[in-house]
Amino acid sequence: MKIGIYFCNCGSNIAEKISSAAVAAAASSFPDSPYVKIVDFICSEEGKLQFEESLKSEQPDRVVVAACSPRDHEATFRRCLTNVGMNPYLIQMVNIREQIAWVTEDPAVATEKTIAAIRGAVCRVRLQQPLEKKQLEVCPDALVIGAGPAGMKAALSLAEAGRAVVLVERTPFIGGLPVRFEDLFPAMECAPCMLEPLMGDLLHGDHVGKIELMTMAELIEVTGFYGNFIAKIRRKPRHVALHECIGCGECVEACPATTRNEFNSNASERKAIDFAFTGVLPNAPFLMEEICIRSKGVECRACKDACPMGEDVVTLDEVETTVERRIGSIILATGAGLYDASRVVGMGMGTLPDVYDALQFERMLSSTGPTGGEIVTSDGTAPSSVAIIHCVGSLDEDHKPYCSGICCQYAFKFNHLITAKLPEVSITHYHRDLVVPGKEAHALLQHAAGNKNSSLKRYGSIKDLAVTHGSNGRLQVSATGDTSTADMVILCPAVIPAEGADRLSSLLDVSCDSFGFFQELHGRLDAAQSTLKGVYLAGACQEPMDIRSAMLEGMASVGHTLAGLQPGRMIEIEPATAEVDETRCAGCRLCVSVCPYHAITFDSERNASHINAVLCRGCGTCVTACPSGAIAGHHFTNEQIMAEIEGVLK
Amino acid sequence: MTAVADFEPKIIGFLCNWCSYAGADKAGGMQETYPPNVRIIRVMCSGRVDPQFVLSAFEKGADGVIILACHPGDCHYKEGNCRALQRHGMLNMMLEQLGVEKERCRLDYVSAGEGEKFSRVIREIVESVRVLGPLLVASDHNAEILSTE
Repeated sequence: MKIGIYFCNCGSNIAEKISSAAVAAAASSFPDSPYVKIVDFICSEEGKLQFEESLKSEQPDRVVVAACSPRDHEATFRRCLTNVGMNPYLIQMVNIREQIAWVTEDPAVATEKTIAAIRGAVCRVRLQQPLEKKQLEVCPDALVIGAGPAGMKAALSLAEAGRAVVLVERTPFIGGLPVRFEDLFPAMECAPCMLEPLMGDLLHGDHVGKIELMTMAELIEVTGFYGNFIAKIRRKPRHVALHECIGCGECVEACPATTRNEFNSNASERKAIDFAFTGVLPNAPFLMEEICIRSKGVECRACKDACPMGEDVVTLDEVETTVERRIGSIILATGAGLYDASRVVGMGMGTLPDVYDALQFERMLSSTGPTGGEIVTSDGTAPSSVAIIHCVGSLDEDHKPYCSGICCQYAFKFNHLITAKLPEVSITHYHRDLVVPGKEAHALLQHAAGNKNSSLKRYGSIKDLAVTHGSNGRLQVSATGDTSTADMVILCPAVIPAEGADRLSSLLDVSCDSFGFFQELHGRLDAAQSTLKGVYLAGACQEPMDIRSAMLEGMASVGHTLAGLQPGRMIEIEPATAEVDETRCAGCRLCVSVCPYHAITFDSERNASHINAVLCRGCGTCVTACPSGAIAGHHFTNEQIMAEIEGVLK
Repeated sequence: MTAVADFEPKIIGFLCNWCSYAGADKAGGMQETYPPNVRIIRVMCSGRVDPQFVLSAFEKGADGVIILACHPGDCHYKEGNCRALQRHGMLNMMLEQLGVEKERCRLDYVSAGEGEKFSRVIREIVESVRVLGPLLVASDHNAEILSTE
């Protein structure tokens, strides 16, 4: 074995503290180390050239570079090794600049410490093995869960890039929450009009052949791993053939059964077969089996008979199915919901009439909603005063400690819309902190502040507020030292993860934070990646956000998908990972329980653990945990680390 | 026993690649000197620090060991630092039985930005081990127990 030692002066950075001559003299006693080359700036173009030339002429089996931090230039020198035909894992760096030269007072001591550190590296590098990156074929296609703004944007962009996309949506329609709103903050754009082109593209655009949309569907099982997932999706029967239905509504007219419509916040009725709401896309009704009188044994086919498009459109016998799709990555875009405002004591939610949460009020404002966009109280008259209470359950240790970020903006949007419809109505905002970030949001606040019929009242704690019955059947809002009457109260509850996020989290083994939002791999560096490789996050499923951010997050997740998986290109698997020696594995499965990436499975037939090299990130926790010493942590083996310890202590 | 003032302890520092090793680099960038007694061994994660590495360090002549991890909740590998903490508790019990003072084996947290904290922790461990004096295990039967060969 021949180990080449390279010592970088780093100009005067290292040279003024550490004597290269003393190091070279000491190195002559190191095992298998016949030479020490001193270079001035080994990371410079000239330095790298010198390094490579020396590697070519000396032909060492292993290399030690004593220079700066490996966090700076390990990759640089590994590339040099590759350039001269050496395996890049046969180098060990010694950090003599950041960790010795710059922090040691006495040059003699610094030199002595350097000699010990290089001896450790020499002892370690002797045991380092060439490692090869493995390659794996992958599926470049993606599964997107949730067809709200983030999911739609992601699906469309992937399809534009030529990827096949399976878009799974739990409800019977696309567009998410905002498609049910009238206007949007900050620019008061009509929500359906803004989303329509996107939805149209998704359903009928140029890339529609690439998108398989499944409404009324949910993910029930995922196996495999990054690049090679198999997803099982359960499709509930719609009982209407989407592509044949023309959306005329004849079947709805004919249907004899009714129920409350959850997509209108239960504020209106619907038939058993009906549209989710007016203007919905895809423009087709769906049948609620549990409401249909056939479920009670009545032989009815009124809807089917009413259909002008023939026998095959209304499919009464359709049953639930399960389909499998192969994909390489998964984008979670499951969105958000609202905290149940009835859990905040004193707000009157669910107990007093004319108290609405923001989603209910959005539907009341909507021209496709239960009142056709008319703002009316429960007695059918227009209100003369409205109270809007911000931060219901947000910034509140008893409920959700975080700021929900979007509420102030839509509360001022409400102000704008109410004033437009009922100019004389007086509006009181009860708020804690006001959050109107960015360059556009302030306009709605200023509009509300400039509205002669509006007032802003700040409260300290939601406990200081109470909504109660007032006189003449009106409501009364009491704040500290102040009581006002209101005909209608609108609550802005905390934004929370959409229902079912917890189920997806356990199904995929993707972590959630303490609030139930999907956890980012890193809150700032990798905010669009989940904790599981190949599963990305888009939109309000990771934290409260507005449509603009959700769309951007959708694009960010697409970026990860496109960059990571490309048709015809295999993915490289980092070899500095862990591997089980099956003959030594005792089958205790401790490794399975400590692996933070679920990269280890237990093969009961072989009675041994198996590590998936694609999922393993090389932390080495399992290597340490294994009581049988059956797991090797490549490039950080026990032998290598022990040799280094011994080397530095000699 | 060597007089405390003359004694320069040898200490092995196990640093995780992402936080504490970067914290040591940060301390370097600040160019403020600290005692030279700690020899650094880089591991990818503090969860990789095998108790046998620590025992081996003592056996091969270290007077102290310091394991530096990412702060709780900041681990690059999610929870490797929690494993390190668990193992450190176990190690301390074992070392106590061998008569090795628990101050000789410390676990602490240093983030990538905490250059100052890194220097402080290094100064502290060097001082506390200096006060304890050299670890005398080389010739008695503890060496045999510490030996993992």
